Amino acid sequence: MSALSWFRGAMQPGEMTCTAYPWLGRLASLRLTLVILALLGMGVLIAYLSETHTTWALVIPLVLVALNLAAAVATNGVFRRKTALLIFHLALIAIILLVAAGRLSYLKGHLELAEGAEFSGELVGQESGPLHWSRLDRVRFVNEGFQIDYAPGVRRGATNNRVRYVDEQGGIRQAVIGDNDALVVHGYRFYTSFNKGFAPSFLWRPTQGSAELGAVHLPAYPAHEYRQAREWTLPGTSRTLWVQLQFDEVILDPDKPSNFRLPARHVLVTRSGDTRTELQPGQTLDLPEGRLEYIGLRSWMGYTVFSDWTTSWLLAASVVAVASLSFHFWRKFAQEPWNPDERHA
Amino acid sequence: MLELKLLWSALVVYVASGSTAIVSVVLGRKPQRVILALLALGLVLHTGSIAVRWDRLGHGPFVTMFEILSSNVWSLLLAFALAYWRIPAVRASAAVVMPIVFVMMGWLLMTSPGEGHLPPTYHTIWLFIHIGFGKVFLGAVLVAVGLAGVVLLRFKGLGLRRLSGLPADERLCDLAFRFMALGLIFETLMLVAGAIWAQDAWGRYWAWDPLETWAFVTWLTLAFALHARLAYTQRPHHGALLIIAVFVLAFLTFFGVPFISTAPHKGAV
Ligand code: HEM
Repeated sequence: MSALSWFRGAMQPGEMTCTAYPWLGRLASLRLTLVILALLGMGVLIAYLSETHTTWALVIPLVLVALNLAAAVATNGVFRRKTALLIFHLALIAIILLVAAGRLSYLKGHLELAEGAEFSGELVGQESGPLHWSRLDRVRFVNEGFQIDYAPGVRRGATNNRVRYVDEQGGIRQAVIGDNDALVVHGYRFYTSFNKGFAPSFLWRPTQGSAELGAVHLPAYPAHEYRQAREWTLPGTSRTLWVQLQFDEVILDPDKPSNFRLPARHVLVTRSGDTRTELQPGQTLDLPEGRLEYIGLRSWMGYTVFSDWTTSWLLAASVVAVASLSFHFWRKFAQEPWNPDERHA
Repeated sequence: MLELKLLWSALVVYVASGSTAIVSVVLGRKPQRVILALLALGLVLHTGSIAVRWDRLGHGPFVTMFEILSSNVWSLLLAFALAYWRIPAVRASAAVVMPIVFVMMGWLLMTSPGEGHLPPTYHTIWLFIHIGFGKVFLGAVLVAVGLAGVVLLRFKGLGLRRLSGLPADERLCDLAFRFMALGLIFETLMLVAGAIWAQDAWGRYWAWDPLETWAFVTWLTLAFALHARLAYTQRPHHGALLIIAVFVLAFLTFFGVPFISTAPHKGAV
């Protein structure tokens, strides 16, 4: 049997009201639905199991679902008789369209802020849909420091990060956010992450130009406990400086509860070319390009940021879907008992 | 430990109830009150065991494999006991359902009852909503599987005489599909509640982690099964096989994925 006649055979007499466009009736076939649902299931598994980019495995069947469903809604008489079933399927179409819109316009990114630093709209890394329209430059918030308790075995507990931010009305507000408690502003959701560490901060006074404050984010702690060093370039110059944080104390004790904190005593080792210098807070390093003052040690926090405007619409569509589905089944089952013979028995 | 003593007593009582159910189908007896009373007693003991552990650890049975199996044996038997009590046609299917639950109980006995670490994201009402919906879903599908099992047994010519008092296959299959419809509603609710939780906790409602992926495939298979029934005039044993397929997928999702996956549900890290 050819595929075409197979689908044609799927049309149920009386159900299809569309004779003007026979192809529409074929596209609306309920048996085609079965094929497409199976394709979608396979697409999900392909996308899940394969390492490479396999968006097509989901997109193609989802487009087919939408077409098949739209054709069925347009031509199948069952949907005119059963409004709740119609609403359920329309909600499914809405969900598919919203998910597609979300994929085109979402943003997922990450950033780092030293304690006291303000978010300036710059992300360290990001991925986004081709139609994402960034409003990140409107977001203003300051990292005011965080606290993380650790259980024995260096098991990280909840992060409490104090932030000060400007809300949508321009008011200044404060909040405590965490890995699962977001700061929500201008449609973006900012979460703290496991990524955090120490940040030596400096005042750089170049021989020409104005002074600049900045912090160097050392590799994440405790993930890179034994690699607390980094090379960076002094602003406006080509000079690189290697800095290393040295301290002896145990910050996160594997044997007892502890919390993330700055070491009480530390020294910052710097190396530029062959010159090695040890700095304490307040000390300076003179270089041909200017003078670098080590202000002191702070912490930095890594944040993730998400934005997807479709979520509240998706929720609404899902609620409509579940409610209409329940109503459909309730009415259908209430109308006819499952075992009509029982009444006579 | 009181908790384990209660659990073991519950399991013994469940086994007594299930064995009576199986024997009664084989011998054609109907000690239904005894079976239901034993099921109820087992559930009371089991509830006690879960409550004692909950009180001791300060969190519900959601973290370790032991807890997941124990709480699901509890909820599945509760769902089945309710159906057994209210719908007489379901009763003979105990001979199919109980062996399935026995397997889970055997597995439960082999897992370590040690404590797990409750992730910080679990401190939310969505945990209960999400898991609660999941339990209703699995319970509904289990009842459907019992009925499907009876249909298949009759199709294979097994226990024809013992099972002859029941309604016709078409009727049983219709009843089973009503439970599948209930299952679809609750699985949809489970997915939506999980998505709300994930959106709130991590900023994205869906991430294709192993559990999400398999739960979605199960949902699609359920949609497939319901449509197949409408698209074709189906023989009851075909419908029954589709029900079993959905159950197998749901079972693998609920218990297989947490068992083998090294990349757990994001909720579990
Ligand atoms: C792929 C596109 C789809 C099409 C063209 C489609 C079409 C239909 C049609 C025509 C019916 C009514 C059949 C009848 O009563 O004779 C129906 C029923 C139904 N559909 Fe879909 N559907 C699609 C996708 C889905 C999906 C993804 C779900 C998800 C669960 C779904 C769930 C249902 C349910 C629950 C019923 C009612 C079943 C019953 O009353 O027993 N459909 N569908």
